[in-house]
Amino acid sequence: MMSWIDVSCILAVFLALTILATHRIVGMIKIIALQSFLLSFVPLFLHAEAISGRDIMLSGGTMVLKAVLVPAILFWTIRHISMRSEIKPIIGLGTSILCGAVLIAVAFWISLSLRLPGKFESSLVLPCSLATMLLGFMIMVTRTRAITQVLGYLVIENGIFLFASSLYDAMPMLIEMGILLDIFVAVFIMAIVLNHINEEFERTRSPVHRPKWGESQ
Amino acid sequence: MLSLLIAIPFLGALAVLLPVRTMFRVWFLFAISFVHAVGTASFWWRLPASEWQGYLTLDPLGLILLSVISLLFLSVSFFMIGYFQHEHRSNRIFTASILALLSTMTLVSVSYHMGLMWVAIETTTLFSAPLISFHRNWGTLEATWKYLLVCSVGIALALMGTFFLAISAHDVHTLLLPSILSGASSLSVNWLKLSVIFLFVGYGCKMGLAPMHSWKPEAYGQATGMVGVLMAGGLTQCSFLALMRVSQICYKTGLSDFYASILIVTGILSLVVPAILLLGEKKLKRSFAFSSVEHMGLLVLGLGLGGVGILGALFHMINNALAKVVMFLTAGSVAQKYGSSHATEVRGVIHIYPVTGILLIVSLLAGTGMFPFATFHSELLIINAAIISKHYVLAGGIILCLAIIFIGIARIVLEFVYGKPTEPVLDKKENFFINITIASAAVALIGFGLWMPAPLSRVLHDAVALIVG
Amino acid sequence: MSSVLSMAFPILSHWLIVCFLSPLFLGVIAKVKAFFSGKVGPSVFQPYFDLAKLFRKKCVYSSTVTWIFRAAPVVILAVMLVLALLVPFGRFKAPVQFSGDILLAVYLLALGRFFMILAALDTGSSFEGMGASREAYFSCLSELAMFMNFITLALLAKSISLSQMVGAHIPMTWGGLEPALLLVVASFFIVLLAENCRIPVDDPETHLELTMIHEVMILDHSGVDLAYMLYAAAMKLFIFSGLLVSIIIPVRTGDHWTDMAIFFGAMLGLAVLIGIVESTMARLRLNRVRLLLLISFALAFFGLIVTLWRA
Repeated sequence: MMSWIDVSCILAVFLALTILATHRIVGMIKIIALQSFLLSFVPLFLHAEAISGRDIMLSGGTMVLKAVLVPAILFWTIRHISMRSEIKPIIGLGTSILCGAVLIAVAFWISLSLRLPGKFESSLVLPCSLATMLLGFMIMVTRTRAITQVLGYLVIENGIFLFASSLYDAMPMLIEMGILLDIFVAVFIMAIVLNHINEEFERTRSPVHRPKWGESQ
Repeated sequence: MLSLLIAIPFLGALAVLLPVRTMFRVWFLFAISFVHAVGTASFWWRLPASEWQGYLTLDPLGLILLSVISLLFLSVSFFMIGYFQHEHRSNRIFTASILALLSTMTLVSVSYHMGLMWVAIETTTLFSAPLISFHRNWGTLEATWKYLLVCSVGIALALMGTFFLAISAHDVHTLLLPSILSGASSLSVNWLKLSVIFLFVGYGCKMGLAPMHSWKPEAYGQATGMVGVLMAGGLTQCSFLALMRVSQICYKTGLSDFYASILIVTGILSLVVPAILLLGEKKLKRSFAFSSVEHMGLLVLGLGLGGVGILGALFHMINNALAKVVMFLTAGSVAQKYGSSHATEVRGVIHIYPVTGILLIVSLLAGTGMFPFATFHSELLIINAAIISKHYVLAGGIILCLAIIFIGIARIVLEFVYGKPTEPVLDKKENFFINITIASAAVALIGFGLWMPAPLSRVLHDAVALIVG
Repeated sequence: MSSVLSMAFPILSHWLIVCFLSPLFLGVIAKVKAFFSGKVGPSVFQPYFDLAKLFRKKCVYSSTVTWIFRAAPVVILAVMLVLALLVPFGRFKAPVQFSGDILLAVYLLALGRFFMILAALDTGSSFEGMGASREAYFSCLSELAMFMNFITLALLAKSISLSQMVGAHIPMTWGGLEPALLLVVASFFIVLLAENCRIPVDDPETHLELTMIHEVMILDHSGVDLAYMLYAAAMKLFIFSGLLVSIIIPVRTGDHWTDMAIFFGAMLGLAVLIGIVESTMARLRLNRVRLLLLISFALAFFGLIVTLWRA
C-alpha cells in the first residue's frame, strides 16, 4: 500500500503544478477539488491493514468538506462575470512553471536532512507535502486576484493535510475534525468577504471613485 | 466550570443572531461578559479542576490571560452601551462575533493540548475578521482581506509547527502539555527546533511582530475602536500565550538559548520598525496600531531575556491590555464624534470635548509608558532584565526606540488635542458610558502602577515558575 | 556467409516491421477519429494506398530551391531507418546497441529535424518559414523534456544504452519506483504528441497554413519526395510509440509469441489512445503549447528528482 500513498503524493504535487499553469479560475477550482478528493483517500491507504472507524470518518469528512462543499462555495463566489475573467499573474505562466519545478527541487533538498521516524523512512510523504506547500505559497504570492489567494491557501492546507495524515497517535480524532472544520469555516468566511468586496466593486461603477487595491489609505 | 465559561458565550452568540433590538443585544452582551468576569474572579480564589481528561486546564499563565480577556470584554461591552446609542448600523453579526470571540479566547487560555490551542487560535482569527468590516467600505474590506489572509497563512505555518512538534514528541504519543514536559528528554531535538521556528513564525504573525506586522496598521486603522481593543489587547496576547507554552517546552528541553535568540532579535525588530514608521503617520488608530507592535515586541523581548524579564512580560500583558482599552476606546470615541480619524480633520478636541481631550492625553501617557501608569513599571522590568544579563547595547536600543515612538505618538495626539478646533459631526455632549469606561481603565492602570496587590504578585511569580520549569 | 546472414536478419526484420506497420498505425488513428465524429472514415489501409499513389508521381521543383530541398526527404527517411535499428520493439531486440546509443538516437532526430527546417526555409515561402520557426522553437522545449526523461530512465536502468533503458529492467522497477515512471510516462506522452505533430500541439488535418506547424513545412514537396516525408513521419510516430509502449508494459513472459502479441496489442491500444486524445481535445493556442511543453519538462524534472531521492 506504500506505493499507493506515493502515487497520491506525486499526483498532489502534479495537480498543484497544474494549478500554477492554469489561467482560468474555474479550472483552478476544479483541479483543487480533484486534489482534495485524491488526498482524502490517503488516511485509508496509510492504515490499509487495519482501517478503523476514525480513518473512515476522517476520509469521509475531508471528502465532503474539502472536495464538495468548499468548491461549491468557491463557485458561488465567482458567479459574477467580473470575478471570472482571466488572471494576469505577476511573473508569467511559463516562468511560474519553471519556478514551480525549482521549488519542488528545493522541497526535496530540504527533506534530505529531515527523516520521519517510524515506518515512513523512505516515503515520499514529507517531500511531496513540503513541495505542495511551497507551490501553494507561490500561487498565493504570484497571483493578483483575491480569489486565487484563497486557492493558494487551500493548496497549502492540502499539503499540510498530506503531512498530517501520517501522524496517527498525537492528534485525537476530535482535534483533526476541528482542524478540518476550521479550514472549512475559513474558506466560508473568505468567500463572504469576497462577496462583500464584489458587491462594493459593483456598487462603485466608475473607476474614478474606486481606489486601487492596496491604496485605499 | 471551564466548559460552562466557554459554552455560555457561544450559545449567547447563537442567541444574538435572532432578530431583536440593537440595544437589547448590547445589554445581553454586557450581561454575559459580567457573568464571565464573575466566573474568572472566582478562579483567583481557587483554580478550577481540569476537564475533558486534562485538555482544559487552567494554570497561572492561563489565569492571567483569562483575567485580561474578561476585563477587556467587560469594558468593551460597557463602552458599546454608549457607542450604540449613536450608531444606526445593525449590530447582529457584530455582537454575535464578539460573543463567539469571547468563547474561543477563553478556550485558548484553558487549552492544554497544543492541537486544541491551535484550533482555538485559528477560530479566533476567523471570528475577528467580520468585526473589522463592521462599517462596510472599501478600506475596511481591504483591511479585512489582508488580515484574514496573512493570519490564515501564518496559522497554517503554526499548524505545520504543531505537526513537527508531534513528530518530535513521537515517543510521547500525545500533544498534551504535561506529557510533553515530563517526557522532555525523549523529544528529538532537530524536529523540535524546526517546530519551534514554525510555531514562532506562525503565532508571531498572529501577534503582529515585525516583520509579519503588515496587517496591523491596516486592520487596527480601519476597524472601530472597540474591535481594536479586543484585537490588540486580547487576540495578540492569546498568541503570546502560545509562545509562552513553547517557551515552557524549550526550557525543559534545553533549547532556551536558541529560542531566546529568536525572541530577542524579533523583539528588537518590532521596536525598531514602529519607531521608523510612526514618524510620518497621520491617522490616530494607525499610530496606536504601531504602538501595539511595539508592545508586542516588548513582551517578546521580556520572554527572551529571561529572569525578571519574564515577570515584566507577564505584568506587561495586563498593563498592555488596560492601556489598549484606554487608547483604542478613546480613538473610537473621537472617530465616532468627528466621523474621521485623520489629523487634518480632527483638531482642538479639548476645546469642544474637554473630557475626551484629557483622555487622549492620558492614552498617550499610558500607551508609551509614563509614570505613574503601570506600563512604566513593566517596561522598566524588561529593560532591567536586559541590563542584568549584560546586554547593555540592547537596553540602550530599547530605550532609544521607546523614546522615538513616544515622539511619534505624541506628535499626532497633541495635534488632535490642541489647536484650532474643527467641527464634529455629533452633538457636543460627552457620553457618560464611554468616558466612565475609559476613565476606570486609566485609574486601574495608575492603581497597578502604584500598588501591586498580593494575589496578583503571587500568580505572576507562579506563572514565571511554570515557564522556567 | 551464415554470420553475415545472422547479422543481416535482425536488421531486415526490424526494417520490415517499421516499414510495414507504421502506415497502419496512422490508419488506426484516422479510423478512431472518424469513429468519434460519427463517420465510417477511410479504410485502415488508406495510408498504404496514399503512399503507393505518391510513389507513382513525378516531383515538381520550384526554381528557387537548391540541393537541400531535394536532399532533405532522403536524409530524413534514412535517419528514421537508422533510428529504427536502435529501438527495441518488444521481443525484437534492437540490432544496434552500444553504450551511449541514446545520444546517437537523439542527435539523429535532431539531424532529421535540421534538414526539414532547412528545406522549409529553402523554398523561400513565408508560410514555410513561419512553420520552420515554430518547429525550431517547440523542438527546443520538447527536446529538453525528452532529455530529462532519458536521464531519469538512464538513472533507473543504470546504463545509457537505449535498449537497456526501456528493456527488461522496467518490469522490476514498476514495483518499487512506480511514481517516477508514472511521471516519465506522462511527460513522454506529451513529448510524443509534440514531436509527431498531433493535437493538441499541431493539427495534422488542417488546411489553413497559418495554423500549421509540420504540415506547412512539407507544403512544397510533391511526388516521391512527399512520399518519403510522410513515410518518415509515420516511422517517427511508430518509433516513439514503440519506446513509450516498452516503458509501459510491465510484463515480460519468456514466450516469444506472447511477448509479440502483448507488444503489438499495446501499440494498437496506444494508437487508439492517441486517436481519442485527438478527438476529444482541441488544438491549443501557440503560447499554450509552450506551457504544455514546459509542464512536460516540469513533470520530467520532478520524475528525475524523485528518482534521485529514492536512490
